[in-house]
Amino acid sequence: MMIASYIGPEGFGNSRTGLQPWPAGLAEVLQRGEVPDGAWAALFSASCPRFGRMDGLSRLGLMAVELLGVEFADKDEVGVCLETNGGSIVADRQFLRTLSPSVFTYTLPSTAIGEICIRHKLRGPVLCLMGVNGDGRQALEQAQSWLQTGEVKSCLCVYADATGDAAARAGTCCFEYGSREDEVQKGESLVALCRRMCETRRTED
Amino acid sequence: MGKPVDSTVTITACAAVTALGDGLAPLERALADNATALRSCARFAGNNYQTDVVSAVPDALWDELRRDDPARADAPAFLLAHRVIRQLRPHATGRVGLVLSTTKADITALERLHAGQPCSDAARRHLLPGQLAADLAAANNMRGPVRCISVACVSGLLAIQTAAEMLQRAEADAVIVAGVDLLSHFVLAGFTALKSLDPDGCRPFDKDRTGLSLGEGAAAVLLVRGSGMTVAGWGSSNDANHLTGPSRDGSGLALAMQRALKKAGVQPGEADFVHAHGTGTLYNDSMEALALRLVFGDNIPPFSSSKGLFGHTLGAAGVLETILCVLAVRAGIAPGTPRLRVAGADIPASIQLAPRRGATLRTIVKINAGFGGTNAALVLRSQP
Repeated sequence: MMIASYIGPEGFGNSRTGLQPWPAGLAEVLQRGEVPDGAWAALFSASCPRFGRMDGLSRLGLMAVELLGVEFADKDEVGVCLETNGGSIVADRQFLRTLSPSVFTYTLPSTAIGEICIRHKLRGPVLCLMGVNGDGRQALEQAQSWLQTGEVKSCLCVYADATGDAAARAGTCCFEYGSREDEVQKGESLVALCRRMCETRRTED
Repeated sequence: MGKPVDSTVTITACAAVTALGDGLAPLERALADNATALRSCARFAGNNYQTDVVSAVPDALWDELRRDDPARADAPAFLLAHRVIRQLRPHATGRVGLVLSTTKADITALERLHAGQPCSDAARRHLLPGQLAADLAAANNMRGPVRCISVACVSGLLAIQTAAEMLQRAEADAVIVAGVDLLSHFVLAGFTALKSLDPDGCRPFDKDRTGLSLGEGAAAVLLVRGSGMTVAGWGSSNDANHLTGPSRDGSGLALAMQRALKKAGVQPGEADFVHAHGTGTLYNDSMEALALRLVFGDNIPPFSSSKGLFGHTLGAAGVLETILCVLAVRAGIAPGTPRLRVAGADIPASIQLAPRRGATLRTIVKINAGFGGTNAALVLRSQP
């Protein structure tokens, strides 16, 4: 089984529901590289009390995982692999302005993984890869490797960036052991894969 | 992606730059003497931080590094990491990969930009850890895969794990794993904001422990397929509990250790030593004690922490502490716990206060834990 979700200025959705347009105003904010306070409430009925305190990277990663709509079984055996280019650079700048302890918590890119694991109670292996290409390819390869070697039974593979220097966007795939190898080509971009899977669904509709 | 191959991953060379200086000899002496490099540091005095006691690379060494590469004089993360990678590079042949471990890369560049001070393009690039890794690989003519890992205080162990997996997939013939992090006003202010620092310097596992001490440095290990000092197993986990505090029951770290032991095919009773995270914070050290009991029951092997030696070097810590384990095996010394005076009542009796000479260390479990609820473990085995 492989399911994907995508968030970007073009829209949001998963490979079952297809890509949908944003409520008024949100696309423009994401285009500026920001993830506004109201983004979660605009998409989901379930509450997320921690959302307001998070940095953009954590917000984006958490929303992308929520969009998958997956209930994780065997939570100790789910791996989480995140790739990001800009990481915590926005929180870093904010911390230098504020010296706030609550902001300092988000000056590590891997805090986004912590937020995902706390919300979904996941206790499997984790990895945060700092990329340069902005495509999530490293995370995709790592997730496939973990599945092939039996490190995990399923794996969340996330690319997210919200730096303010480019549009905020995230792509997330959830693989389970036994996913068809040919569904993902060697060297394929995670972001492009997630977006394509969502767009394909919309076309099929 | 290469196909998995049946292979053993081994550490064949090490390099380190720490507060003790450049090279392994000062580390070997400190290991034998149970020494500490924690000192009051003029760079951080008078700034209202909880403390200015840190483990800082000596000014004279910084001057030397800057003289060697004037074009990158204001890019200290590059200078430190380049020094240790360059020492190992001649020993690596074939397709050589790089895995960099760092939490803040060159955060001092952001401090200068924030203060309106000059900042070179080179330093500005290294605000992004991935760019720092790419530049280090290019500068050292490394044509294999390049990765940069940033998972708080477990970055170093996860970087070694990532490199071992690369070798097992035959994606590289050799991989240099380098860890680097700098002391900065950013991290001193951050840990002060969290009230996590011990004003007098950390005392891991001590009954009076009140916090950690920060350190800086770079460390690198060369991994290849072959026999010797092997990276026999690895594992990681998340507590799924809290962002800045460890789980109170130690189960997350225990899970990481159990995964590493299982992968290595090693029973808990076979471990000769555990090199702990041991930051000196009340909650971390208590959590580790619980994790050790969960994994080893009533037969916890001797264990110690080296944070009292070179402080908490964040992204460099896992690599640096792994090197200390390699040196301990070679010297036949079970490491002590510098700055520990009287162990806390919650700390297992097998805590190693002073170094023990004549120790036969065949199997060592190395553990770290960090913010975001992350945990990691390695099983290191020396083959006769």
